[in-house]
Amino acid sequence: MQLTSKSNVTGKTKKVTNVNSALAAATCVLLGTTPVVQADEAVWEMDTALLYYGETDRITAVEGVFSAKKDFGDEHIFSGKIILDALTGASASGAVSQPSAQTYTRPSGKGQYVIDAGEIPLDDTFRDTRVQLEAQWTQPLWDDMRGSAGVHLSKEYDYLSIAVNGSLAKDFNQKNTTVSAGLSLAFDTIDPEGGLPVAFSEMVIDQGQFANEQAYQAAFDATRQTGTDDKSIVDLMFGVTQIINRRMLMQFNYGYSTSDGYHTDPFKVLSVVNDQGLTQSLVHEGRPTERTRQSFYWQTKYALDSGVADISYRYATDDWDINSHTIDSRLRFNLSGNTYIQPHFRYYQQGAAEFYQPFLLEGSTLPAFASADYRLGEMTAYTLGLKYGMKMPSGNEWAFRLEYYQQDPKNAGFDEPGALQQLDLYPSVKAVIAQVSYSF
Amino acid sequence: MNDLFTIEQKSDHIIGRFAAMASPCEVLIETQDPMLANHLTSVAYKETKRIEEKFSRYLPNNPMANINHSEGKPVVIDDEVFRLLEFANSCFQLSEGMFDITSGVLRKAWKFDGSDNIPIPKAVKALMPYIGWQKVKYDQSSITLAKGMEVDFGGIGKEYAVDCVAKLCAESAPRISVVVNFGGDIQVTRPRHKNRPWHIGIESPEDDDKNASKVLKIISGGLATSGDARRYLLKDCKRYSHILNPETGYPIENAARSVTVAAPHCIQAGLLATLALLKGVKAEAFLEGQAVKFWCYR
Repeated sequence: MQLTSKSNVTGKTKKVTNVNSALAAATCVLLGTTPVVQADEAVWEMDTALLYYGETDRITAVEGVFSAKKDFGDEHIFSGKIILDALTGASASGAVSQPSAQTYTRPSGKGQYVIDAGEIPLDDTFRDTRVQLEAQWTQPLWDDMRGSAGVHLSKEYDYLSIAVNGSLAKDFNQKNTTVSAGLSLAFDTIDPEGGLPVAFSEMVIDQGQFANEQAYQAAFDATRQTGTDDKSIVDLMFGVTQIINRRMLMQFNYGYSTSDGYHTDPFKVLSVVNDQGLTQSLVHEGRPTERTRQSFYWQTKYALDSGVADISYRYATDDWDINSHTIDSRLRFNLSGNTYIQPHFRYYQQGAAEFYQPFLLEGSTLPAFASADYRLGEMTAYTLGLKYGMKMPSGNEWAFRLEYYQQDPKNAGFDEPGALQQLDLYPSVKAVIAQVSYSF
Repeated sequence: MNDLFTIEQKSDHIIGRFAAMASPCEVLIETQDPMLANHLTSVAYKETKRIEEKFSRYLPNNPMANINHSEGKPVVIDDEVFRLLEFANSCFQLSEGMFDITSGVLRKAWKFDGSDNIPIPKAVKALMPYIGWQKVKYDQSSITLAKGMEVDFGGIGKEYAVDCVAKLCAESAPRISVVVNFGGDIQVTRPRHKNRPWHIGIESPEDDDKNASKVLKIISGGLATSGDARRYLLKDCKRYSHILNPETGYPIENAARSVTVAAPHCIQAGLLATLALLKGVKAEAFLEGQAVKFWCYR
């Protein structure tokens, strides 16, 4: 108990009858509290989460997140994060399914896999572990400003990304308006097993045509570039947060991102089909070396009597012609002072990249760029989820989240010759996401 | 959007205000987030109204009405009522019978309106058989009052509400300093950033001028005031305080006009202040013996 005011107490403790201590004990019983011991020391706030993401027949990912934050006083805040991902499973190679079985060479050049007739070609060697480290420092600067700077490092077996960021935020209008600007610079390096394929080179498949192992390897190596490749990314972000009234808050963000370098997915291929829709060969994809994206984001949070509604919309457009719309909504309902449920709905729609092609036609002129990666095609996707959170009497919080995600690729107006008409070239991807998190 | 409470943004905190328990109620929240302030004020308002409706002796069909109109029959009680009865019992024991939640029936004779209407001795005497906590029988699930007796949590209700609201705020926003201030009965959930004190305006009990107020600085813990400088009777130059002695049915002699105590919890501070008033002339001596900070006004 501290109270700064003139006191009648001399500070000396005379004979203390035990009325006060007996009363303190009775108070604790009444209020159901333990005697108050208040630590004035700033404490680390820790968050841990374990996430499972599982696609039907495709990728399974398990991710562990640990983050910690500490206020060293006067809003000098450090936050750090460690993320560990383990991915296994199969991912669509970009090739089309066929009425007969197909044999593929693994991206490493070592070994083959066979896809049954009518099945979507999935490359089942997808396996990776990723470690991500982040550190961020935020503190007030001159003139009601806040500055923040951070570093980010992400490492996979064949991929390394290093980024630095800085941002400034300033409050206006009695802190009802906050304007911010941020810059992030990233540098990525890729070095896949088996090397980076040459764009539009044909996949070398050993079907007995090679005299020996060396002859196969020589043919395979001819489809590969030497060395690694890289990509640099510059992100700019401008934001305005406005408190509309005591229940409503709005945020507008504009983002500009430009990247230069290797954008191709070394594991993706395109089928070259004849006019009957039958695959004649497989070629490695090739993407432009530059990409510029812009995004416009609007978010509104509204406090209800017993909860919070959070709705956002994002429009993104880029010079690859991928235009997308995202609507995201979360509604938090407080079931009691310590528990809540939060339904989540997200809808996403995107148009195809200008160089997206589900396959190449034999005999037609080779385009400058082409990819059959379904993630660059036309699609809609939605997420439906529910989160349940409960705060323990200690102030620590448990949260459980379960979501269903479905992605429905669409034909962006490509005619399907012959056999392809009978096959599903645009299969849906269905996934379940489960997360448990604990904050203390 | 709703007129149950209001929110006012200050430079380094937000104040939520509402009226309840015949008192101005406010929560001072060290945040700039209006959503959070709105949520905490809403939690505070609901909890205060819940306690007011449950324990007000002026409302029908609440646990108080059921107990006080039981006509000598046992009444079922819930855990919260039981805990408050246990607390009242501890206070009765600690005060050697001076703090008695059955003494409220005396207000049928005493009206402290600043006048000289001292009740006739017979009227006071007639009420005395209905006073005496030791006559009340209760256990975890029921209470039995003799016909004509009443219990009244008026002496601890507001402080109890302050502590309950503070507890909910601390659970809801454990990292944020919140002050719950119901007309000068105060609880701070945790110290502010950099241990800066909260500045709280309170009505000065020293002055009869209602506009006079003092600014109090508090860092942590609870604070409560007992006594009311404006509630008294005056006859033949003798001032009768509104603090009644349950053993005699008459006001405590030489009671302080008001006592303010600081303690870890608001209700603990409130009880120490009330027990000090019941000590009459020995109030200061009693409080000094408790090793707490206090302010006594006579």
